[in-house]
Amino acid sequence: MVTAEAPRSTLPRTVMFSALSAQKEGSSLLSRPASEDQDQGPVFERLSLAYSPCSERYKVGERSFSRQYAHIYAARLMQMRPLLSERAQQKWGSAVLIKRLCDLQTAEQCCIVGTLFKRMELQPSILREISDEHNLLPQPARAKYISETDELILEDELQRIKLEGKIDRDKCVTGSVIAIYGAERNDGKFTVEDFCMADLPPQTPRPVLSSDRFVLLASGLGLGSSHADSMLGLQLLIDMVTGQLGDQGEQSGAANISRVLLAGNLLSQSTQDKDASTKPKYLTKKTQAGSVEAIRLLDELLLQLVASLPVDVMPGQYDPTNYTLPQQPLHRCMFPLSSVYPTLQLASNPHIANIDGVRFLGTSGQNVLDIQKYSSMDSHLEILEETLRLRHLAPTAPDTLGCFPFYQKDPFILEECPHVYFSGNATTFESKLVKGPDGQEVLLVTIPEFSSTQTACLVNYVLLNVSRSASRPSPPTTTRKAR
Amino acid sequence: MDELYLDNIDEFVNDHDKIVTYKWLSLTLGVHVNTAKQMLYHYLDHKRKESSAQLHATYLVSGKFEDNGQTGHKVSVVKEDQLEDFKSKMSLVVSVHVYSVQKALLKDSGPLYSVDYDAVKDNLKNCTKFSAIRCASAVPMSSLELQQARQIHQVPAPEPEHKKPAMNGEANASKPSTKPQKGIMGMFASKAAPKNQDNVKDIKTEQKEDTPVAEAPKSKPAAKANPMMNFFGTQTAKKPDKTEKKEEAAQSSSSAEVQRQSSQPEEKREAPAVQPPKDTKKEARSKSKRVVDSDSEEEKMEKKKRRRIKKPEPDSSDEDVIPDSPQQMKTRELSPSPEKEVEPVSHSPSQGNSQKTRKRRRVLKARTFVDDEGCIVTEKCYESESYSETEDDVQATKQASKDPVPAKRPASHKPDEKKSQKKTSANANKGSKQASIMGFFQKK
Repeated sequence: MVTAEAPRSTLPRTVMFSALSAQKEGSSLLSRPASEDQDQGPVFERLSLAYSPCSERYKVGERSFSRQYAHIYAARLMQMRPLLSERAQQKWGSAVLIKRLCDLQTAEQCCIVGTLFKRMELQPSILREISDEHNLLPQPARAKYISETDELILEDELQRIKLEGKIDRDKCVTGSVIAIYGAERNDGKFTVEDFCMADLPPQTPRPVLSSDRFVLLASGLGLGSSHADSMLGLQLLIDMVTGQLGDQGEQSGAANISRVLLAGNLLSQSTQDKDASTKPKYLTKKTQAGSVEAIRLLDELLLQLVASLPVDVMPGQYDPTNYTLPQQPLHRCMFPLSSVYPTLQLASNPHIANIDGVRFLGTSGQNVLDIQKYSSMDSHLEILEETLRLRHLAPTAPDTLGCFPFYQKDPFILEECPHVYFSGNATTFESKLVKGPDGQEVLLVTIPEFSSTQTACLVNYVLLNVSRSASRPSPPTTTRKAR
Repeated sequence: MDELYLDNIDEFVNDHDKIVTYKWLSLTLGVHVNTAKQMLYHYLDHKRKESSAQLHATYLVSGKFEDNGQTGHKVSVVKEDQLEDFKSKMSLVVSVHVYSVQKALLKDSGPLYSVDYDAVKDNLKNCTKFSAIRCASAVPMSSLELQQARQIHQVPAPEPEHKKPAMNGEANASKPSTKPQKGIMGMFASKAAPKNQDNVKDIKTEQKEDTPVAEAPKSKPAAKANPMMNFFGTQTAKKPDKTEKKEEAAQSSSSAEVQRQSSQPEEKREAPAVQPPKDTKKEARSKSKRVVDSDSEEEKMEKKKRRRIKKPEPDSSDEDVIPDSPQQMKTRELSPSPEKEVEPVSHSPSQGNSQKTRKRRRVLKARTFVDDEGCIVTEKCYESESYSETEDDVQATKQASKDPVPAKRPASHKPDEKKSQKKTSANANKGSKQASIMGFFQKK
């Protein structure tokens, strides 16, 4: 059930997964087995459906890091300027003057379009750290880098100007492209009266499907960690999805799960052994990296899943792939057992997929976490919505979020509106249905970390609602129940 | 058969002291999971009616669960005594069945997980054979299909590289090739870099194709030799290398070949800008504008370069040699001599005899010479000298001197060098590892 609308809505068709599964026919499993004449047991067919991955834009072919990052900003502004001009005209009238910064005149009401830059005192700067004259020790990592002294600056292709006025400085992040309405003051600062963002891109309408279909979204499996008490929960989840758990009703319900999408952090943070680089070789020569065992475990888990339904695997922050966004798919040589199955799809991060005509777009959460550090927003869902309104997946890349130096395009700009927009590795499960100005409908989902919450999400993409699926081993301890 | 499973379960639980989960049972007995669950229930029921056996069971309960206003589907494994409690908490119970039966009371979920893990591990191929859901598309691909799928992935990979040679040429591999060349005067580095990149790139695209594996070992020593090419000028025959290059070109697959061909004309193009009175191969290699004694040196450089390619098998002494050269470069870097360009290459006419085995080593030597003011100066420095197993004379290269020192060339007849020449020729060059010990003795 959609959480935000649950109390109000009386939609007759919010069919939850549980309700679906509870339609059981036949005998309960708390009974003697039937005689052997009867066939062994019901076997339900998994729905197979049309799937097309659309993430070619995130595949980085040849990687040359000798370019400057300025090209990304230039490409971003160039692509978003016409969109923003259009929005500005829609919002403030078609007669509004849209000017470049170099043409500004004082006290003239106009609209300017550019990239935001937030100058933060506390932002870690490598130049300051290594500069001898400051004699600064490196700052410890903080949860938030915002402070009272932050300043907002708008940059366009040629100039920049300081901003003041009705703009919430703490909510904005560097790299967002917006349009601002106001006037320049005598002292050279621009007074903001109103601003607007690019808002949602156009969306192709969802196909009308007859039966209920689900996609399971999970993230943060955290394999290879030192405390393995979440493993039974994971096993229960897999058993439920593959149709081994539960009685007939539940199994038939599980047959409606058409796909599993694992959104990052399949390995736990403890597999990232930083010591290997600092310890001397003779100490680390014989020790295996922590991720080797964890990947083997992952391969076995995936084997159980892919033998039963298609799986998309996205890498995350702690997975063995590159660090910069877009993260390339995990290599299939790490999955010797499961890569034999055609149902295994190794995807990039971010990932776009077209499942049965419904467009899924999402990341493993690095972009959201980064924005959380540099703005006052705390809720992952709020940040997710903000990125959607900005029409950009990761505005803080490449400033504070590692990113590949793209040259002529910025692949993080949302060109087509997804139907389901998710981000992984959140602290809690949240979801929201967002409506756009042109009638777009997007379901936002923040997928919680499985290793700590034992919760995954079941998205009913026919109806665009989502429910949680929690698997708990016995006995549920108090720490798990309370959140 | 009907009751046989009861005995089986009995045996597992009581005699082997196992924890019998439904999954383990279904995989062991080869039955559908639902049947296994029912079997467990039956067994439990049966045993409890019969005797008050010390059996514990865990149940699986799943259903709708309300939590903080959010509803969700919850699946839990609970102990028998908590079963009713749990069921009452759920707003809608979807399924209940026996999860496992065991003799001892379980404290936590660890053993349950490990039982299932072992069961699955033993039956990896058909872990979903007995499940209730079958997926038509989840069939493992045959090896043929796998290969096809992989080729599709590989073919686009060389293509984008191929399409953007310009960007790649400059950007790609500029880092690895500039590093080793830093030691040499910057002269070499700038011009030689593109060529190196092309070579390195060639090698890369080559290795990407699955096809000629024989290429890889051949090209590897070429790659290794590349950084050293530029300052070890030798006079081995140019021909072998040329033919080798041509061979490589002929054997490689289409995209790599095109690459190489495009790189060769590139090399040739760059060359004319540098030293007109050289043949094309030489031009390709040495792009320096060294004024002093460039001709012979470059010749020697190439020959030495080519010699490396000619013997791809790494002798143990090669290992010595290779780490040496980066160190050489570093020491050279320390003292750029402004006036007399020190050729960083070792050379000698006798190398024209193209010795088959020629190695290099570093020796700490003291050199005595007369400097500008007429004073005799003694200096210690590391010199790299090449020696061979068959020859006696030594060629040594000057390095890291504070004062500008003329390059040592036994072949040339500069008056200053007579003394040093004596010294170096005094170095009996055995061409074996022990030569380094000899160097120690000679200081006296």
